[in-house]
Amino acid sequence: MNTETKDALRQIVGEANFSDHIIDLVSYSSDASEHIHRPQAAAWATSAEQVQAIVQLANDQGFPVTVRGAGTGLAGLAVPARGGLVLDLSRMDQILDLNIGDRVAVVQPGVIYADLEKALAPHGYVFPPDPASGKACTLGGNVGTNAGGVKGAKYGTTRDYVLGLTVVLGDGRLMQTGNRAMKSVSGFDLTRLFVGSEGVLGIVTEIILKISPKPSATATTLAIFDNLEDAGRAVSGVMASGVIPSVLEILGRETLQAINQNTDLALPEVDAMLLAETDAYTQGEADFQMERVVGQFKANNALEVKQAESAAQAAELWKARKSCYAVLARLRPNFVLEDITVPMSRLAPMLKGISQIAARHRVQVATFGHAGDGNLHPQFLWDAADEDETRRVEEASAELFQLAVDLGGTLTGEHGIGLSKAPYMHLEHDPVAQDLMRSIKRACDPNNILNPGKMALDG
Amino acid sequence: MPDTHPLLEEFRDQIQRCSRCGFCQAHCPVFGGTQRPALNARGKMLLLKEVLAGRLELDQELIETIFQCTTCASCAQNCPSGVEVPEIIKAARREMVGLGTCHPAFVGMDQVLDQHHNIYAEEEPEDFDRERGGQAEVVYFMGCVGQYREEEATEAALDLLDHLEVDYALIDEVCCSGVLEDVGFALKPHLAQKNIETILATGAKTLVTSCPYCLRTFQGRDEYLPLKQAGLEIMHLSQFLARQDLGLSTDLVVAYHDPCDLGRHAGIYDEPRQTIKTVAPNFVELADNRENALCCGAGGGVRGAFAQNSLAMARRRLEQMETSGAQVLLTECNSCVHNLSNAKLRAQKFEVMTTPQFLMELIEESS
Repeated sequence: MNTETKDALRQIVGEANFSDHIIDLVSYSSDASEHIHRPQAAAWATSAEQVQAIVQLANDQGFPVTVRGAGTGLAGLAVPARGGLVLDLSRMDQILDLNIGDRVAVVQPGVIYADLEKALAPHGYVFPPDPASGKACTLGGNVGTNAGGVKGAKYGTTRDYVLGLTVVLGDGRLMQTGNRAMKSVSGFDLTRLFVGSEGVLGIVTEIILKISPKPSATATTLAIFDNLEDAGRAVSGVMASGVIPSVLEILGRETLQAINQNTDLALPEVDAMLLAETDAYTQGEADFQMERVVGQFKANNALEVKQAESAAQAAELWKARKSCYAVLARLRPNFVLEDITVPMSRLAPMLKGISQIAARHRVQVATFGHAGDGNLHPQFLWDAADEDETRRVEEASAELFQLAVDLGGTLTGEHGIGLSKAPYMHLEHDPVAQDLMRSIKRACDPNNILNPGKMALDG
Repeated sequence: MPDTHPLLEEFRDQIQRCSRCGFCQAHCPVFGGTQRPALNARGKMLLLKEVLAGRLELDQELIETIFQCTTCASCAQNCPSGVEVPEIIKAARREMVGLGTCHPAFVGMDQVLDQHHNIYAEEEPEDFDRERGGQAEVVYFMGCVGQYREEEATEAALDLLDHLEVDYALIDEVCCSGVLEDVGFALKPHLAQKNIETILATGAKTLVTSCPYCLRTFQGRDEYLPLKQAGLEIMHLSQFLARQDLGLSTDLVVAYHDPCDLGRHAGIYDEPRQTIKTVAPNFVELADNRENALCCGAGGGVRGAFAQNSLAMARRRLEQMETSGAQVLLTECNSCVHNLSNAKLRAQKFEVMTTPQFLMELIEESS
């Protein structure tokens, strides 16, 4: 990027919102994934007009633009793989409108998930897809990755709540999709096309979100299973029982062992632990749903079922699940958190397969995840300084993805393809589908300006 | 470029352990005030990884981020990977100072303490109309900020001790110089020696300070070990007050700001609240409190070196105060009260003061 281009960028965003200092370039070289590549410059846009002017300049000058929110993504979506400009939208952080009567929130992309949550709380409302990074991540990032969370089984993912977008396309045109209405079948669903598009088609500058009332009552239960198949059948049984829990989490044996080695929780080291939460607007209704869930746990040979009688007891039951990330993050120097997703009925074979793959490649994998929507987080733990171990992790990952696809699932349930899973796109998407994706990319971004190198769109 | 960075190398495992999750962005006051990831804990760890890998020099360009950390430790408090960022930052600063690379404000601070007895290079200490020296049960240490910048807070603390009829002595105190270790330099043994001599000369059994940083220095630094060895009980004024029967009461709605040095660094959360809640039952917590309290932006030398951003951090804390609906914001650190007061906007109608100031106001009203 030459001096003239940098000056032009300064003109667009102002001196205070542009940087080519090394400290910014290094901090923008990475997200929460293992990928790293330095950009040549960084800019903080504060309006859609600035974003548009930058994308137009990028087309004229031929430099890549990688859009970024909080950089909490786990698949390299925000890593500027080809250099160029990182466009940080976190300073576009205004909640533009809250209309509870319409169930609508209009936000700029840099609004932090937790800030929207705080703004909605006094109204008894919530934006349900709650990623684990909710305190830090931005809603623009959530839209870009189609972020999920712990409540996906009942409440879906980000895409289920995006009604409309304002987007600067890769060719520099500004576009509106959708509207503020609760339903719309008007034309192609361009909104959905852009949700989860990882910043490769356009840059979202405004988001219209559907919001939901927050259920005030919950019931919480923990169950342990000494047999993986029983746990898998219990999950399917819950799904068939006529109720959908708001949370149905699973912790595998390796995860329970790791927690025991690093905390004083003294968990039973069994094949699987399931944590269920039901929610409703009355305690009676939450309890009624939980009875169904517990019935399925018991019918499928749960060794032990603990039901919380109070909020404090519920917090106790959540402890193991909440400790997963922090415990596993400290075990080895490096980790990758995958997010393969399979039909709920295939959870047991998937979990068993993960253990077999780990044993075959002599790698450490601990698994937990959202059993309620079949989304598992096998966490590979290793030392990147050990080349042989790194190679074995890569080989094991490839088998993991193949198994997920073979079981009727997907490479990624909520983190996105980005750089991490680009080499495996062909496992899940046939040549025709991939060709269509590339056509869509060209239609929106003919010069391949936006976030190049992601999603296997280049080749 | 030097082949190694020995001080940083000690923390190599810790630095590598940062998994880049970015969760610290939710807690870092510098990031909150600037929205610039390079200044967040994760940004700093990424830079130090590059330094350790030999891809980046520990030079002038890094001053802006490495020296712009309040060492408030809220990142470490919330880090899933358990990275002790403040310790790493302090090591990096020492390394940089060793290489001749330092923010000029801190070079000046170190030089000032070679020539003067306080960090402000003030020649005339405020005497607060009280004698120095003598024998007493308690020795009261006010600290540089208390003596030269927040005199009203110190006056109130001393008046309160008088009101409670505490047998205390003041000394010709000098800067504890602990803060130098936060900004890449070393504590000054000659200053420590002078403080130790004058403190012990009072024959006091208890050392009380209103400065949380002085407290940490006296309790934690080897140079001050003779105080402990002499059997002196070292405590913060808030701990001392929690033992007193104040006999005061007010309906005012009061909130409390946890100073990072008193809270996360010294683990003192309950005693200040105990006193405040007894006197002001209409106590409310700020949105972020106790272990998760938001830093006022003054610590780690940031107020002196990056004043504008320091005030931006304080304003974020004051926004939480505004939301709380409280009428009075109390804190137990003169640096915090200094920064928060400076940042308070005229439109913000609440008051900011130390707990002793608040208590003295109530005492004066009731008399």
